[in-house]
Amino acid sequence: MITIHRRGLLAGAATLLAAPHLARAQGDKGQGDKSQGGGPKPRLTLISQWSAGSDGAAITALGRVFEEEGGVWQHSPVPGFTTEMMNKLRADILAGNPPAASQLKGPEIAAWSRIAPTVDLTELVDAAGYETVVAPDLARLHKPQGKWIALPLQIYRTNTLFVSSKAMAKVGATELPTTWEAFNTLAGKMQAAGITPVANGGIRWDDGMKFEIALAGISPAAYRRAIMELDDDALRGPEVLAAFRQLRRFADWMDPAVAGQHYSVFLPRFIKGEMGMLMMGGWAQGVIRHNGFDAGDYMIGQAPVDNGRPCFVLNADAFIFWRSKEPDLQAGQRLFANLVMSKRVQEMYSKHTGSIPVRTDMDLSGEGWSEGQREASRSLGEAVKANQAVLSLAHNMAQSNQLSAAMIDVLTEFVHNKAITPEQGRQRLAEAVEGAR
Amino acid sequence: MAEANAAALAPGVRSRLGRAVVYALLAGFAAFYLAPLVVVALNSVRTAQDIGATSVIGWPRALALDNFSRAWGSYCIAQSCAGIAPYMWNSFLLVVPATIISTLLGALNGYSIALWRFRGDNWVFGLVTLGVFLPEQMKLIPWVLVLRELGLTNSIGGLVLIHVVQGISFTTLFCRNYYVAIPPELLKAARIDGAGYFRIFWRIVLPLSPPILIVTVIWQFTHIWNEFLYGVTFTSGTQQPVTAALIALSVSVSEAPQYGVQSAAVLLAALPTLLVYLFGGKYFLRGLTAGAVK
Amino acid sequence: MRAEAEPLARRPGVGAAAMPAGTASALPRPAARATPARWRGALGRWAPHLVLWPPLLVSVLHVVSFTLYTTWISFTPSTLLPQYDWVGVQNYVSVLNSRNWKIAYTNLVIYGCGFVLLTTALGLLLAVLIDQRIRAENLFRTIFLYPMAVSFVVTGTVWAWLLNPGIGIQHLVRGFGWEGFRFDWLVDREMAIYTIVIAGAWQASGFAMALFLAGIRAVDADLYKAAQIDGAGPWRIYRRVVLPCIGPIFIAVLVILLQFAIKTFDLVRALTGGGPGLATQLPTLVVYDLMFQRGLLGRGAAAAVMLLLSLLVVLLPYFAYARWRRRKEARHG
Repeated sequence: MITIHRRGLLAGAATLLAAPHLARAQGDKGQGDKSQGGGPKPRLTLISQWSAGSDGAAITALGRVFEEEGGVWQHSPVPGFTTEMMNKLRADILAGNPPAASQLKGPEIAAWSRIAPTVDLTELVDAAGYETVVAPDLARLHKPQGKWIALPLQIYRTNTLFVSSKAMAKVGATELPTTWEAFNTLAGKMQAAGITPVANGGIRWDDGMKFEIALAGISPAAYRRAIMELDDDALRGPEVLAAFRQLRRFADWMDPAVAGQHYSVFLPRFIKGEMGMLMMGGWAQGVIRHNGFDAGDYMIGQAPVDNGRPCFVLNADAFIFWRSKEPDLQAGQRLFANLVMSKRVQEMYSKHTGSIPVRTDMDLSGEGWSEGQREASRSLGEAVKANQAVLSLAHNMAQSNQLSAAMIDVLTEFVHNKAITPEQGRQRLAEAVEGAR
Repeated sequence: MAEANAAALAPGVRSRLGRAVVYALLAGFAAFYLAPLVVVALNSVRTAQDIGATSVIGWPRALALDNFSRAWGSYCIAQSCAGIAPYMWNSFLLVVPATIISTLLGALNGYSIALWRFRGDNWVFGLVTLGVFLPEQMKLIPWVLVLRELGLTNSIGGLVLIHVVQGISFTTLFCRNYYVAIPPELLKAARIDGAGYFRIFWRIVLPLSPPILIVTVIWQFTHIWNEFLYGVTFTSGTQQPVTAALIALSVSVSEAPQYGVQSAAVLLAALPTLLVYLFGGKYFLRGLTAGAVK
Repeated sequence: MRAEAEPLARRPGVGAAAMPAGTASALPRPAARATPARWRGALGRWAPHLVLWPPLLVSVLHVVSFTLYTTWISFTPSTLLPQYDWVGVQNYVSVLNSRNWKIAYTNLVIYGCGFVLLTTALGLLLAVLIDQRIRAENLFRTIFLYPMAVSFVVTGTVWAWLLNPGIGIQHLVRGFGWEGFRFDWLVDREMAIYTIVIAGAWQASGFAMALFLAGIRAVDADLYKAAQIDGAGPWRIYRRVVLPCIGPIFIAVLVILLQFAIKTFDLVRALTGGGPGLATQLPTLVVYDLMFQRGLLGRGAAAAVMLLLSLLVVLLPYFAYARWRRRKEARHG
């Protein structure tokens, strides 16, 4: 903390010398009171779990921008598990000392906003004209009582399919499968060629994500009703059953030896062509790149969707803003909010992590964007129009942590226990929802 | 003493075959116990590419000794690129006072309970012992509230307090069980000479205590050094103890882990406790033999 | 707690000789400074209380208040933060009805028994082996004891490497040419729980060994002599002489290991994360998951209270036994 503080001060001092910089701040309207006017020097205390690799690089870069704009950046990463970060946040809230902003996502934003006062950002959001460029389902999550209290930072598509180029070459295939039937045929070929068709990790969220990708691909409408609206008929409907059947196929095609490991451990095998297809969020691009592999090693696209139209299972990271009495923190929150909404920061951030910007009005044709990012970004716009953009279950976007966890319990058990039939799986899922509600 | 006598007369396998079996078993078990250490030690001198290309178990192709220097002083953990060194220092700041205070208080507690009978002493002892068994997850929220009341959130001081209070349960248990065995005649004589609570503690009990104090110190030192849940929750940023830094290294959510640097960091972070066992192990055993556990 | 007052005088058999200045001695007066002896007398009477009680009170309070607090929370609808309305046993009902809890408890029984038996057996075996007047005893003892110094997180991570069939022991042995070799417990739903037994035993058996060794070394030399004169072989001596003598240590080891088993948390989180599926869930993981992942403090507290009750099931007989033994000793001695 102390060193970060000192670093912040030094950077702050440096930027004060280069005063003209300050005038260049983004989204100008909402923040006329920045440090030039003798007002308090903006300061931001922030908790996130981003500390290493591309996430760490991205947040560091964001901090540097914040400092360039004259702010004091005090980021406390809580590395490791998400729960530890939440424990830290809870401890700070109970101690009456929440950070100015903290990483939080999905319906948890609404839940946590009930336990401590938040900042109403609506004015800033309106001034920036931001609401019109955010996907409506996503916007809803960040304004639980009709007021913006949190801002999404970046978006990932979870239903992204990575296929190993070497594996494709081995079976003589060139096109990504676009329907589950095509996927299953290709997987069969790969298996016959001695390749493990489905590359996966095998921790909880990974298992849950396989299911959401299957169901969204089978019917985005059924996904919306069953997973997002928890409609009992839909949960017991034929699409959910079909998704369980597909999940069983995935499970049969996985290497059982990788259970319990993070998917990234097996990236080398995937790139070498020993494993064929990886269903993983767009963040895997950043990880693959970080591991020294390049874009030619894999093909990337949307996971199969049977109705042939773009479908986007959405996962987004966000910051929630906690109310503070100190003027410098308030100034910091305004500066930070404007930065997070800005095109400049969203571009910079997504280029680091492999995500796509929250703003739907950005041009990704320029340099530094990957083909995968461009495709995902296009797909988001089209999916929103086709009403086929849905929220991720496995990444706690669709439901509160409690409900998600209860549902993922069923899914992860189903993946690893082949004695459970798809019919039983469907029933258990419906029962889990009932029990957790 | 008894130990030496027993050793001299201990029953033992004498036959040549028997001795061979004994040594074979010992060697086999030693391999089992050393295997994880060997794996980590080997990884600590392998490059990330080497491990990535083969697996986390293997012989180093080339020695990458800079893993250690990076882990120690320059690897970026939680945004601060100073390696684990600052976190190690935090851990020392936490462990040393917490160990010393909890041991001393435990010794006093043990002495009071064992040698100064008072009404309800059994209950007090039972409750203190129960503290050994409370699951940590359960105590997290109450500690948050206590630290808030004391104004000790986000500080090493708060962590010291937690470890002292929780540690007292262990140290009291150990010390009490040890002091119970002090012959009453010794105390009687001292009292006749007019010695009070402190004199008896200082002149009689403490000089008899080194074996148990060593056991207690070793136990506390390793437990506090290795504790993770409270360390992460109650400190932040560069105030965190080294276990938090290790987690930051090993559970990096979206990256392929840097096994080489990680292993080096694990070894470095485990060094203090390993050294404690290496040099204190003999005394640990001696302390136990002297009657710590009854 | 009204237990205090005159610790010394109450001690049976030691009696009044204890405190030189009886109750009649004067209260501390301002003039006390002038008469150091008196001043010291008063201090001598009060200071022990000042030193004796605070740490005892703190530890007792911490145990009692934290336990009561958790019990209280378990009867409330608390979610993300503590709340203090009463909802009765609702949390207990929903925890008891959840699959997770049932699986976790079944696992705890399997793991608890497996871990305690394996660790005790290993510890005893190692102690006996070490007791064979071997060379390099120090070295072996250190090797067996060092896992105690390592954190659970590290143990879990490294054993996850070793036990993972894709990169660990199985991979290694197959590399030596034994292609059919299988050791994939870690990813086998039925067997995964035993990998935790192995890792746990690796970590704790050295401690068990140390305790047993301490017990064995403390056996009265005369007993050995007598047995040897009777012409008993080593096996017989261990069974007839040593084992009965270290009976109490057995109990201590069992209790320490059982509480260790019930509290196991970091190890599982690093080794299997509760998986594959839910195959290695343990009650501590469920408590943590409910409280902090799912944001259901009330339900998590109910699970914690039940976990504590199961600890008491283990501990109360032990306390009863310890008391009984004390009584017996008191009668004999």
